[in-house]
Amino acid sequence: MSIPLVKIENVSSGYFSETVLREVDLEIFLSDFIGVIGPNGGGKTTLVKTILGIQPLFKGRITYPSGKPRMGYLPQISQIDKSFPITVRDLVGSGLRARRRWFPHLGSDQKKQVDTLLEEAGIASFASRPIGELSGGQIQKAFLCRALINDPNLLILDEPNTFVDKGFEKELYRWLKELNKKMAIMLISHDIGTISPMVKTIACVNVNLHYHPSNQLTEDILKVYNCPVDLIAHGPVPHRVLKDHE
Amino acid sequence: MSEIAGILEYAFFRNALAAAILTSILSAMVGTYIVSRKIVFISGGITHASFGGIGMAYFFGLNPFLGAAIFAVFSATGIEWISQKGKVREDSAIAILWSLGMALGIIFVFMTPGYTPDLMSFLFGNILSVTHSDLYLLLAFCLVAALFFWIFYRPIVNTAFDPEFALIMGIPVAFFRYTMSVMIALAIVLSIRSVGIILVLSLFTVPQITAMLFTRNFASVIPLAAFWGILGSVLGLFASYLLDIPSGAAIICMLTLQFLLVKLVVIVREGVNRKRKGDGDF
Repeated sequence: MSIPLVKIENVSSGYFSETVLREVDLEIFLSDFIGVIGPNGGGKTTLVKTILGIQPLFKGRITYPSGKPRMGYLPQISQIDKSFPITVRDLVGSGLRARRRWFPHLGSDQKKQVDTLLEEAGIASFASRPIGELSGGQIQKAFLCRALINDPNLLILDEPNTFVDKGFEKELYRWLKELNKKMAIMLISHDIGTISPMVKTIACVNVNLHYHPSNQLTEDILKVYNCPVDLIAHGPVPHRVLKDHE
Repeated sequence: MSEIAGILEYAFFRNALAAAILTSILSAMVGTYIVSRKIVFISGGITHASFGGIGMAYFFGLNPFLGAAIFAVFSATGIEWISQKGKVREDSAIAILWSLGMALGIIFVFMTPGYTPDLMSFLFGNILSVTHSDLYLLLAFCLVAALFFWIFYRPIVNTAFDPEFALIMGIPVAFFRYTMSVMIALAIVLSIRSVGIILVLSLFTVPQITAMLFTRNFASVIPLAAFWGILGSVLGLFASYLLDIPSGAAIICMLTLQFLLVKLVVIVREGVNRKRKGDGDF
């Protein structure tokens, strides 16, 4: 077994005195593609923020046994102010660290790096446009570029499939599959149905975390995990959440 | 025309022009940050809270602007602190600060024995009474702000746009947020001299939204907002002289008129473009 990128041990976290996440254990390896599911308010985003190191822990610890990994993060787009006057180029560039602390502008090679990535993502023609002029899918692409510009070995995506059309969603998943060859991916979604064919393993987060080492989950297991997911909660007919086992 | 050339010979008018230009440049930088972050209401709170400082300074016989600056800085950093802790409703906190500052100001001014001559100039500004030392102070602060924006452009924009991501990137978010709060507070107090507490907010918003009709790139909004700010306040200043109306109010009306005209042009142009496109369909 290889060394994990991130090792989460007995972590509790939350806001003020309210515990959102309780005694969570999880190991993330470079080859992982983890689908993080769970109800809204169940602690999915909190879990991600503890991994990113911007959420104080009440208890437990997070270690990086193979050195601090480079992490790429795509936040929930609904949290973003799309009317903010920032161009796509500057947005993606904000994912790079400046070399100097006292004049933290990007070097010309770093600017070139941004343009190359925009080219690869097929949004180079929007580079000088403000993000407010982009469509939902293009915005997601721009934010994904920001997450990828630092060449991460752990990519964390918070609900990347909201506000986008089906065409983009397909493209996104193809892209992620390719990226997974060189980096670990954590994909948060409240919609287990769409992500399950993509991911390798599933983590159900509902205050506690239950790790399921395959991408096939049955309703019964979800019940045992106490992990109510949207699709089950108000699906009229379907009682099976995922595709059939082969 | 000769009348305009004539008033330029007066030192007070030249000072007023210089103040209008410097204030426009300063508010272009700080105002672009305010409008982008959508914290206009916070800035209104800071502005009105500073009146408490003015009143207190009057009462204790100190420089009113020093009092205003102290109150503004404390309320600005206080609001930033509240919004980071997130325990109190931010908008309610601002409303309390807003009215409490005004109330304290009124009480202290009322309690101050004797006549308080230029109270009106704090409320509505008096750009014609700007002195040389006021100008030097304004110039110095303008330079400091410009240097700060130039050097730290990226972290300023990135912490304003997405503070959480900036934190992940290792940017000292709290430092930049608080520094910008202090800068907003001081920029507001320095601009109160020109247009007064009641009117100052429009200097920090109207040229910026006018500029944003043309560009939505933070770096380009600043110089364009400075342009519209300078144009509007210089025109307003001349209008106030020629029509014999209060300068602060004239400047604000001119800035707003500019915005409406530009907006109208943009709407008409968009309409024409749409019509042209529509014609192709026939």
